[in-house]
Amino acid sequence: MFTTGSKLFLGATGLSIAGAVVFAATTGGAEGWLGAVGLTTLAVVFAFLAGINLYTRDANVPALEPGVEHTAAAAQPAPHGSLWPLVAALGAGGIVVGLVSRPVVFKVSVIVLLAALVEWLVQAWSERASASASYNASIRRRLLNPLEFPILGALVLGVVVYGFSRIMLTAPKSAGRIIFIVIGAVVLFAGFLLASKRGLAKTTVAGVATLGAVALLGVGVVSAVQGQRTIDQHPELTSAVCLGTASAAQTAEIDHRASQAVAMKSSVAANIVLTKDNRLVAFVNGYPNVEFHELTVPRSAEVNVLFRNDSPTARRLTARLGTFKASDGTPGNEQASCTTKLRQGGQAFLSFRVVKPALASSSPYAFIIPGLDGQEIKLLVP
Amino acid sequence: MHRSGDNVSSLSATPQNRRRWPIAALVVGVGVVLGGCAKNAPQDTFRPAGSNSQRIDNLARPVFYIAGIVGVIVLSVITYCVIKFKDRGQDIPEQTHGNPKLEIALTILPAIILAAIAVPTVVTVFALDKKSDSQCVINVTGQQWWWEYDYTAGNCGGVEITAPIVTAGELVIPAHTNVLLRITSRDVIHSFWIPRLNGKRDAVPGRLSTLRMEASQPGIYTGQCTEFCGLSHARMRQAAVALDTNDFKTWVDNQLQAYKAPDPGSLAATGEATFLAQCSKCHQINGILKPDGTPSLAEPDLYEVSGAAPNLTNLMTRTAFAGWTFDLISDKCRNELWNAKPADFGALYLQGVWMDTPAGATTPVCFNEANLRSWLRNAPAMKPMFSDPTQLASTGGRYRGMPNLNLSEAQIDQLVAFLLERK
Ligand code: HEC
Ligand SMILES: [Cu+2]
Repeated sequence: MFTTGSKLFLGATGLSIAGAVVFAATTGGAEGWLGAVGLTTLAVVFAFLAGINLYTRDANVPALEPGVEHTAAAAQPAPHGSLWPLVAALGAGGIVVGLVSRPVVFKVSVIVLLAALVEWLVQAWSERASASASYNASIRRRLLNPLEFPILGALVLGVVVYGFSRIMLTAPKSAGRIIFIVIGAVVLFAGFLLASKRGLAKTTVAGVATLGAVALLGVGVVSAVQGQRTIDQHPELTSAVCLGTASAAQTAEIDHRASQAVAMKSSVAANIVLTKDNRLVAFVNGYPNVEFHELTVPRSAEVNVLFRNDSPTARRLTARLGTFKASDGTPGNEQASCTTKLRQGGQAFLSFRVVKPALASSSPYAFIIPGLDGQEIKLLVP
Repeated sequence: MHRSGDNVSSLSATPQNRRRWPIAALVVGVGVVLGGCAKNAPQDTFRPAGSNSQRIDNLARPVFYIAGIVGVIVLSVITYCVIKFKDRGQDIPEQTHGNPKLEIALTILPAIILAAIAVPTVVTVFALDKKSDSQCVINVTGQQWWWEYDYTAGNCGGVEITAPIVTAGELVIPAHTNVLLRITSRDVIHSFWIPRLNGKRDAVPGRLSTLRMEASQPGIYTGQCTEFCGLSHARMRQAAVALDTNDFKTWVDNQLQAYKAPDPGSLAATGEATFLAQCSKCHQINGILKPDGTPSLAEPDLYEVSGAAPNLTNLMTRTAFAGWTFDLISDKCRNELWNAKPADFGALYLQGVWMDTPAGATTPVCFNEANLRSWLRNAPAMKPMFSDPTQLASTGGRYRGMPNLNLSEAQIDQLVAFLLERK
């Protein structure tokens, strides 16, 4: 009637009760009571366990259902060894390393550890979910794929973008184009190869892709360690800078070959050129090869001009945009807008809007080259 | 009794209804076709009046004929099949799959047709984009809801323009001249279109697009904004007026004439004062002086979303105003002007509201005073504009269009007298 397991627990229950009585009797005071309550609690716990053992017949499965010990889910061997303990261990190790080295290592390791734990937990659970390995695999996928795919996708994209951007920032400007073309061509070619060979094994494709990603990441990291090529800062082009009245520190720049021009070339009011021999001339759509020295533009509308510096000195184009009194009558400062300084051959785009007619300004509207006297293009704003 | 195939249609259409539909369709169809015969159709793209529109016409017509022939063939075959093979309960015919010869033929034939059309199309596209042969450049700027024209200082078709000219609504150009318009916008996207002279060109804020214009004869060519641009888009119209070189020179010289103040003590002189008080904050009249003797400069940038209002220096040289929507000349005179022979057109046009007026008379016969008065009385009532001062929170108090200035009839009298001298 009593199963083996329940006998053990019943015995322990009895012993606890007896113990409680003896303890209470021999030890007086508050301590005696405390011990008696503790031992009685132990007795209740043992009694509960004895009850469970009785109820489940010691969980003796074959006794309940003969043969089930071979078919039960718990009896199935794990389909394959798991990688997650290793990854989790790496994460844990990384946390320790991160604590004494760099915060970023710590943060990444925490993420790795958490991710590994989640994967490990779900895998362990799913591998025992039923007796069917394929069903188990499918519920694992159903649970985790919605998380894995987007995160992995973002990660891969991040690797590509990171790797690529570091490479581009390190490589000299001119080589950048070639790198872009070559990598683009390689990707296209590889894609073509993979697509044309239909029967290619999944693992081959995955291998090639992984290799590519790792190579990219590797070169990217190396480039990042190498550091960026020198990139000039864009200065703030205040009116004072444009008019050449700012201090030298404020005008230290330069984006010598600025050329934010391509998309706007079709849309300019004029092409303004500083020629080799330092003459400032404007060319206007409709009059090829005619040099203009004044331009008429509508007021209150956006005006775009494209400036090219053909002279050997680095120069900027400045549009003098008038001086106006404030509404309380106090005299204002001259307004101006300009391009950055450009080296020979550099092009830059200048966009501005004039809302008052020229007559309203106490200084003329004109395009000038700061530091170069006598060269100007009048700006007529009716 | 119905056969099974008819059941569906008989649910929605009673037999009577079924007879009415074709009649209705026929009436609409005939109406549309007859609409093509309209005589008074000044914006008819099929009547090119310049080299650019002629090019478009030369391309569009053959393409239209080819497309028409193809269309008729396809529709006839479909109609034939629909009737011939109608479901009368007959057996389903034998089903076949594929017919390489037919398929290849039906691929190659359209390819040949398209290739044949592509060649002249590309040639025309490039020809219409040519800029190197321009003889005159004019800035065209759109805003809600009118067009402004800035004539750049320089040579225009052999006429020297010594200072920029600014007008509105009516684009005066020399005939037989390649004019290059440089089109942009101050607020939203508009589109400039004079159908008899060229195709459309969008006016996009911050961008400058060019459009060739050439009129082969003096005359007036109307158009309208063709990009929906808000409340009064329908009342944003424009016209190109082509003049012979001599007449164009007369026009230019007149535009550049110095400001002539009204005779002191006259009604117009009072009007000048009223104008300075009420109108000159938005409208520029070149050369007009403030009472203190300094030039009065309009500041539409403070009052208008677009930052512009029509320049009224030579208002009376135009034949219509406010987005070229309301006549400044009477119906009779307009008909006379529009129907004038090319040889007579320029002389008539240059007289403007003074057309047909006997020498020595002081009031112009052709002046459409009622329209101008009504505009000054309450502009937004004539043309819907965004100009209710209580609703300008979103624009920081700036208008789109001209507000109602609540002028008295006496003020309107003065202003009309004053504006009548802006010729
Ligand atoms: C708040 C600015 C503003 C004020 C003030 C103003 N206008 Fe206007 N006016 C406009 C705008 C904007 C238009 C263009 C409206 C349109 O066509 O959509 C216009 C159009 C006109 C036109 C038609 C011009 C043309 O060629 O199309 C006339 C004439 C005119 N105004 C006269 C006056 C007179 C006279 C006054 C003074 C009593 C006045 N305006 C005051 C803004 C103003
Ligand atoms: Cu418009």
